[in-house]
Amino acid sequence: MSHTLDKLSAFRQGVVIFVYLAVLTVLEYFVAVTFNAVSILVVVAVIKVGLVMYYYMHVYKLNEESDADIHSYSYKTGTNRLGLWLFLLSDAFVFAGLLTVRINLLGLTRPHLNQTLGLAVTAVLLVSSFFMNRGETAMAHGDKKGFITNTIITFVLGLGFLLGVVAVEWPLAAEEGLTAGSGAAGAVFYMMTGMHAFHVFTGLLFLVVVLNNARKDIYSAEQHWGVEAAAVYWHFVDLVWIFFYPALYLIGKAL
Amino acid sequence: MKKFFATAFARGLFWQFIGTLLGAGLITGIRAAMGLSVTDKFFFTEPAWVLGGFIGVLFFLGGNGAVTDWFKWARGINTPEVHEEKYSGWEKYFSVSLDHKVIGIQYTVVALALISIGGLFALIFRTELAASQLQFLTEDVQLFGQNGPQLYNTLMSLHGMIMIVSILLGVSGIINYVVPLLLGAQDMAFPRMNAFSFWIAVPAAVLLLMSLVLGGFDTGWTGYPPLSARAPVGMQMFFLGVFTAGWSSILGALNVIATVLRMRAKGMTAMRMPIFVWAAVATSLIALTATQLIGLSFQLVMFQRLFGMGFFDSAKGGNPVLFQHLFWFYSHPAVYVFVLPGLGVISELLPVFARKPLFGYRWIAMSSLGIALVGFVVWAHHMFTSGMNEYLRVPFMYSTLLVAIPTGVKFFSWVATLWKGKIETPTPMLFVLGGIVVFLMGGLSGPPNATVSTDLHLHDTYFIVGHFHDTIFGGFVFPFFAALYYWFPKATGRRMNETLGKIHFWMMTPSFFVLTLGMMRIGLLGMRRRIADYDPALGFDTTHLVLTIAGYLIGLSVMIFIYNFFNSIKNGEKAEGNVWNSRSPEWQVPSPMPMHNYDQPFEVVGEPYDYGLADSKYVEFSAPAKSAHK
Repeated sequence: MSHTLDKLSAFRQGVVIFVYLAVLTVLEYFVAVTFNAVSILVVVAVIKVGLVMYYYMHVYKLNEESDADIHSYSYKTGTNRLGLWLFLLSDAFVFAGLLTVRINLLGLTRPHLNQTLGLAVTAVLLVSSFFMNRGETAMAHGDKKGFITNTIITFVLGLGFLLGVVAVEWPLAAEEGLTAGSGAAGAVFYMMTGMHAFHVFTGLLFLVVVLNNARKDIYSAEQHWGVEAAAVYWHFVDLVWIFFYPALYLIGKAL
Repeated sequence: MKKFFATAFARGLFWQFIGTLLGAGLITGIRAAMGLSVTDKFFFTEPAWVLGGFIGVLFFLGGNGAVTDWFKWARGINTPEVHEEKYSGWEKYFSVSLDHKVIGIQYTVVALALISIGGLFALIFRTELAASQLQFLTEDVQLFGQNGPQLYNTLMSLHGMIMIVSILLGVSGIINYVVPLLLGAQDMAFPRMNAFSFWIAVPAAVLLLMSLVLGGFDTGWTGYPPLSARAPVGMQMFFLGVFTAGWSSILGALNVIATVLRMRAKGMTAMRMPIFVWAAVATSLIALTATQLIGLSFQLVMFQRLFGMGFFDSAKGGNPVLFQHLFWFYSHPAVYVFVLPGLGVISELLPVFARKPLFGYRWIAMSSLGIALVGFVVWAHHMFTSGMNEYLRVPFMYSTLLVAIPTGVKFFSWVATLWKGKIETPTPMLFVLGGIVVFLMGGLSGPPNATVSTDLHLHDTYFIVGHFHDTIFGGFVFPFFAALYYWFPKATGRRMNETLGKIHFWMMTPSFFVLTLGMMRIGLLGMRRRIADYDPALGFDTTHLVLTIAGYLIGLSVMIFIYNFFNSIKNGEKAEGNVWNSRSPEWQVPSPMPMHNYDQPFEVVGEPYDYGLADSKYVEFSAPAKSAHK
């Protein structure tokens, strides 16, 4: 199984998955600008989500046998992991609700937005997920320095995404007349990006917490639930954007 | 009194007050700097009240200590796994405790307090309805910025939501107290989150009550836009309160699922779990996921009011019917959140008092899950008259009628369990039997509402009100009282007074039948719901008077219960052993339950409900000397 890989193969796997995701994202973009085929976009998004959930979020770990002793770190980590995934399931309903709102109100139209900027922030978030995976892998092999370096890169990229959306994209859209009060398209755009940005923001706080704790040396190769939780949450935020990016930028006719 | 002000409860409320002022002051300052208006009808402006309400909740949780351990963890400081109680007496119940039993009792007591408030509101507007014309809630009445009829609307709306929150807390109370005991666990999977889930419900209740004094709102508990987009500022407090209470429900549900999946005693396979645990899991699956949608729908209206975002404003390309879809996606399954634990209590207690095995254990377990899953695809039956696409009506009619199948399975099992049983009828069993009958009435009055052709006539009449109260009393209120009478000795080591319990039952049940059957009768004759006044020519005056008297009798019976509950804690008859002669593990050890539950772990060696079978055992405790985990 992939979770027993040695460090080098684990890193290599992260690179391969990243290349898949990048190729699929580019494919998605060109499919959208040339054919506008919604079904292909949905299929691509589902494949990407599958890759992220399996290789980056390690969903299979939910099934892992843990130590029989209920007071052991490994048993508690198993319980925590279940708790985190249940939380993500719950959170997913918020985003599913927002997608429902978007489909109901806008149908096969979309807000008029800057395509280059959209692709750029998407790329930044995707690359941040790659570095998050490297950071977690490093910690799982006891490499504290590698963890800190990679997580700082993740943090910087994540901050870049957040500012790219809130400080660049929002004013640009507002300049073109797409404001929160301008109509359904504006309302949907600001609500979806805003809710996602809020989650990116909490993810950044989470990264600061684990970085600070790593500096204090409280994680080890065997015991680093905090790092795993931060990584899984970060990938979840990326996973939401896998749906939100096509929903806002690619599907349908621009208004 | 000094001690009370030092408790987490009082400190939380104090900090909520400070936080509300700070948040509201912040927005007011910003608005002043921007040259916008700084005061409004209720002193602060609407955005100021919203941020104030929100910050108030955060300050409550920060101030009372519910999140202290998490902040320690974030700074890399470890905290001891299990906390010893700081207090021993009544103060324990006002402090942040991590013990699931204390939290269960906290939930239950707050639920009883809210039931009293919600019931009081009901009696106020029920009194107004006793005769046609406006008697005391007249146009000249001015209170909290509302005139009489507006106050009627606010009380009617708040009665709905406060009762819903109290039911959610009551459900959590029973689940929290009982589930770890049934599983043989020391505590819930996440004790701190458990405390957090309880404490966040307290500021939520405060916000809901704030909506009454901040101008109220007249939408009913459903808060449909466009009316809710124009209602006074109280509407926003209502939205915020429900949103906050929703988090209590979501995180509590998460905890229950994790506990059941990870903390079961040795040998307790899925099909040997107590039946109540199955109900708790089914209810938690709904609460965990669907609750987000009511939070989202209310949040969208909040933003529509604050920022002019036109989600539900058709002038801006929005769609008001979309709100109803989002809202009912939770609010229909929510009724299964209310009744599934209640039906679980019925299934759990029936075999104990019929002295017979539970009939069809597997079918009951699966029917709970079945109701939960079918419950996700029935929501639009609330919207047959809303103007949604007509082709949606028939599929939703059939999916709704489908709910009758798993529910029918439960009734079949209950009747078969009772059949030829040696039935004993102490107070808990009376409430179980009452619950079955009342829920049957609720169930039988359901299909006419689910069927499109009849619902078009019944929609928005008192028939719906009667049906709804039947399902919730049968599915929640009766079993809730049964559970309280049943597990009271476990929590306190004393029994509640049996005579007062019987008076409670025999006063409440007939009054309740009169109330709901009367509601259904005038509903069929055309009585609209949610209105303060009605035409005397309809001839409903006598019926309404009878309904009001019945309502007061129910209120009186609940007051007797509350007196009995609090009086028996100190003065009840001692009951430290297996009072009900149950096979369940929690009754095999002395009451009240010790701090960390079972001193010796137990192993499940048989079926849970084999009452009357010679030599059968459900659990076996390991030898006292062995302490496997230390």
